[in-house]
Amino acid sequence: MTDSSSTTSLSSDWKKIAGPLGAFTILAFAIPALLSGNRYLAFVAGITLIHIVWTSGMNLLYGYTGLMPLMFAGIAGISAYFAVDLTASGWSFWVALPVGALAASIAGTILGLPSLRLKGFYFTLCSLVIQTVITLGFVYFANLTNGDTGISQIPLPAAPGSGTISAPAFDLILAAAAVIGVVVLIAITRSALGKRLIAIREDDELAEMLGINVTRYKMTAFFIGSLFAGVGGALYAPYIGFISPRSFDVLISMNIWLMVAFGGRGTIWGPVAGAVILVPLSFLLQEYYTVKDVIYGLLIIAVIVLMPGGIASGLKRTTRATEPVAAGAAEQRGAK
Amino acid sequence: MTNVLLEARGVSKRFGGVVALKGIDLVQHQGETLGMIGPNGSGKTTFVNLISGHLKGNSGSIRFDGRSIEGRNPYQIAQAGLTRTYQAVRVFGELTVRENVGTALVDAPSALGQDGVRELADWLRIGHRFDARAGGLTLLEQRQVELLMRLVQRPKLIMLDEPVGGLSSVEVRVMIAILAELKSRCTIFVIEHTMKVIRELADKVVVLLAGEKLAEGPPADILADQRVIDRYLGNIDA
Repeated sequence: MTDSSSTTSLSSDWKKIAGPLGAFTILAFAIPALLSGNRYLAFVAGITLIHIVWTSGMNLLYGYTGLMPLMFAGIAGISAYFAVDLTASGWSFWVALPVGALAASIAGTILGLPSLRLKGFYFTLCSLVIQTVITLGFVYFANLTNGDTGISQIPLPAAPGSGTISAPAFDLILAAAAVIGVVVLIAITRSALGKRLIAIREDDELAEMLGINVTRYKMTAFFIGSLFAGVGGALYAPYIGFISPRSFDVLISMNIWLMVAFGGRGTIWGPVAGAVILVPLSFLLQEYYTVKDVIYGLLIIAVIVLMPGGIASGLKRTTRATEPVAAGAAEQRGAK
Repeated sequence: MTNVLLEARGVSKRFGGVVALKGIDLVQHQGETLGMIGPNGSGKTTFVNLISGHLKGNSGSIRFDGRSIEGRNPYQIAQAGLTRTYQAVRVFGELTVRENVGTALVDAPSALGQDGVRELADWLRIGHRFDARAGGLTLLEQRQVELLMRLVQRPKLIMLDEPVGGLSSVEVRVMIAILAELKSRCTIFVIEHTMKVIRELADKVVVLLAGEKLAEGPPADILADQRVIDRYLGNIDA
């Protein structure tokens, strides 16, 4: 009985989101296609699409599960190095990609284990250390990663016939990845898994008390979130053509987190908007390289102080303006 | 006598050098409302935390519904049909009441269907608040949501930690009326400082004092017991 009711609400949910999803799908494919005359702009669009994959994964972990994994870029890097090395040793890129992403997922699940004991800020701090160790690992295992020098001239994947596929064709693959990423995220948030993750985010002890296996679902969130990181990482390497430990360091993790927080964590479209605004912005600021990080830092502070819920909830908050009064009254009585 | 639902034998808990519970024996039968009273710091909440799996005991055995549950995780104990509330009201404040209840249904093996949920919500007089944000409700309403979230799981035993704490005297009456009716739906274990609740609801009362069981028996006897009056009831306005 509950099943039938939840499926009806599920389908109406999908109807509600079908419009935005359709528009997003069309734009994701159309914009790189329209910009294909200008390779630079098409490239900015492609990088934005990769970041949409990443923000979807970060959103699952940070927005829906309430964990802030600052080793996210490191996990993406693991997948990128895997995919590049396997492709270089003769594998098809299309086999190397899922293998690399899976390796990232497994690594991410293991690296997520501290989240079982550490909450909030303490897990974030721990993840920062993990990210640092991953970056050092990329430098240290130079036979696999070419160390600080990085790996350059990574070719685009081989085309079905001969040679490599064209950059505009790869743009469409990135568009497909971004759309699939968002669809998977929507599906998860509408499922029982999504309810469990939100419950863990809101109050993990209460969630456990209601019968939810918190350990298992935190690990599931890390597995899936890392899969997003890994797919993005494996696509990123051949698209840019160059990767080094710097490509996947803590600043990249912070950037992805910022896109999620700025756009609106725990919403589907907020982080997408965050990527669409902030990725092109970073290209605009590329000329002013030294100021760029300062501006990003200021943005992070501004988001934390002024818009803890991001753009998406900044709009929503006005409708809730009357509620905190009642909540405050309840708390006061509770404290009595 | 009916079936034994909860059985604790020699349950002890130390926090470092502090002994919080010292060899507590306790038996609760199915359908029997058990009240636990005692001064602050006497170990009542610690006892509930041990039963619900939030804390691991140092010694003793706990059986629920015929199975040993010590060392189990809270979610396993919850799925076995033992649920609890917290001293401070605890709901998912940012979610709506509907979402709160939906979360309670996700991993409950014998959860109610939609009609059952609706019927319960109306009985708890909270059905009209389903689309409200739980954190914005009054304390009484939040307590009702708390109960609803537990009862839709059809638990065998519900442990209530001070269910009328912080409520006004009118609201206390409402809650006592709800709990009195709840007795026919679910076995209740209740911690309370408000003697009215114990007097009107409990079939059996256990008194804890400094981690030890001081007395046990029917409420009328316990509330008249000179030791209990001297060492606990004398200090509070019942």
